[in-house]
Amino acid sequence: MRIGLKELRRQPSRFASVGIALTVLVVLLVVLGGFLDGLELNQTGPYRAHEDRILVFSESSENLIQRSEVDQAQAAELADTDGVAAVGGLDLISSTATANDGEVFDIVLFGYELATDVIPSPPANGAVVDAALTDRYGVAVGDTLKIGPSSEPVLVVAIVDDLSQGSPTVWVSTDRWREIVEAGNPAALPPEGVNQALVVDLAEQADIADLAAELNGLVGISAVTAIEAIEALPVVQQQSSTFEAIIGLTFVVTLLVVALFFALITLERIGLYAVLKALGAGTKDLMAGISAQAVCVSVVALVIGFGLSVVFVSLLPDDLPVRIEPARLAQIAVGVIVTAIVGSLFSLRRVLRIDPAEAIG
Amino acid sequence: MPALELNNVRKVYGTGEHQVVALNDVDLTVDDDEMLILVGPSGSGKTTLLTVAGALLQPTSGSVKVGGTEITDLDEKQRAALRRDQVGFVFQSVNLVPFLTAKENLLVVRQFGGSKIDNEARKRADQLLDELGLGGRGGSLPSQLSGGQKQRVAIGRALMNEPSLVLVDEPTSALDSELGKQVMDLLQREIKGRGVAAIIVTHDERVLEYGDRQVQMVDGVLSSDSEHAERAATAQA
Repeated sequence: MRIGLKELRRQPSRFASVGIALTVLVVLLVVLGGFLDGLELNQTGPYRAHEDRILVFSESSENLIQRSEVDQAQAAELADTDGVAAVGGLDLISSTATANDGEVFDIVLFGYELATDVIPSPPANGAVVDAALTDRYGVAVGDTLKIGPSSEPVLVVAIVDDLSQGSPTVWVSTDRWREIVEAGNPAALPPEGVNQALVVDLAEQADIADLAAELNGLVGISAVTAIEAIEALPVVQQQSSTFEAIIGLTFVVTLLVVALFFALITLERIGLYAVLKALGAGTKDLMAGISAQAVCVSVVALVIGFGLSVVFVSLLPDDLPVRIEPARLAQIAVGVIVTAIVGSLFSLRRVLRIDPAEAIG
Repeated sequence: MPALELNNVRKVYGTGEHQVVALNDVDLTVDDDEMLILVGPSGSGKTTLLTVAGALLQPTSGSVKVGGTEITDLDEKQRAALRRDQVGFVFQSVNLVPFLTAKENLLVVRQFGGSKIDNEARKRADQLLDELGLGGRGGSLPSQLSGGQKQRVAIGRALMNEPSLVLVDEPTSALDSELGKQVMDLLQREIKGRGVAAIIVTHDERVLEYGDRQVQMVDGVLSSDSEHAERAATAQA
């Protein structure tokens, strides 16, 4: 292994081609992952705001809030279950908002009853809006937004993190939500005492998975975690499967690039490896050197690739939903290093076949 | 115990009509601190003898003992360990690792099989380089060394692990006569001074005088075996 690392240090130009190729692939992986995360985060803000809580939909809704209706009797049954601390309604409708300056933009209007770690308790008068409205349209606390075709006024009283669900979100109490929907789009208003979904706060000792399983046993409902609700979203499924296929393909290309490079470099080194084998090196010694080189080249490519990706993403227009998430970078780093090790092991067969007698013959 | 014992060693390449007998029932014993010169025409089997003696190649039949260990019973991993611990090689084309310095080329044999380079190994490498007249060149890469200096590094590498047997293939073939003499003087001094057994394969008649014994190989058979003293006398006459 030490020999391989010394070769890398003393003859870095030999590894420049694979290093450059890996760096480009890392940039591609980070940008693709950034788009995947950006698009997903851009569609799932309200669900992420309810992490560590259970979301309850009607059984036939496939966990899609727009298709779901849950009544008060079901809410009461949930509230009576051990481990449940509180139950509150959650409703949404796609609408428009008009800012003070007259600019009109799409929003998703939520009616809610329970505060979360991200969203404060429903204001008695006014609305909580997410940061996307501030970033894109300059909305600030104290502004009045006019919601929907009936221009129902809501006063912005708080701004929270970006909770976009395709469009920026506006959060009002369930009562105010019903007033706004009734005024602008009465056909979309659920019957009195019915919510589209319910949010369940857990008691301190309750386990979220166990409680969700228990609640699922109740008639007519589907209880899921926020992550499961996100995974049920068709737009997320489509985006994830598409981007994950492209990312997977990029990893395959990475594997082939590393495998091909080290296969070629092994061909070049057959004479040297024969000499080292004659001197007592085992196949394990030689493969450890090759794999160490692959790991080092990968680490350098990751560092440079991450840096270039940050620069590249910062140059993209603001409205493109690209987000570089630490978890995604960690996943790419581990994936590239593992792929490089596996790719370097493709040379194993060739190294095994090297005859130490060739050193003399 | 002899450093090397070959009994009825036979090595056959190919099969049927294409069969070539490279070693034909060879018997050879090389004692500790004996320096044996192996001569013979091209294709006579000298290199095959060297590769079999160095545990690089398994014979078709017969017994090969290096330092008392029967190598025909060993698997590839065990033979690699034996080469690392008991055999030193000086290759015809030197074959230094091009991206390692002279000192690192000596230490390279200490890195295999999970071994570590310790201070004792570093001291030995420095000492060997000093003895070989390369005290100031330990940090030089092979590309920065002359042909004679490279050959001396190769000799140092062969001696680094204190082997019981050193196998040397055409040590002077790429050197002019003056340099060749210097290298052979050095090789003789280092090998005899350490009490190590050696087989030196050569075509170079100038090398013959350095051996304790000369063995000739023709068509895979060791055909003559004469004392160095007799050779020297003949040469003088």
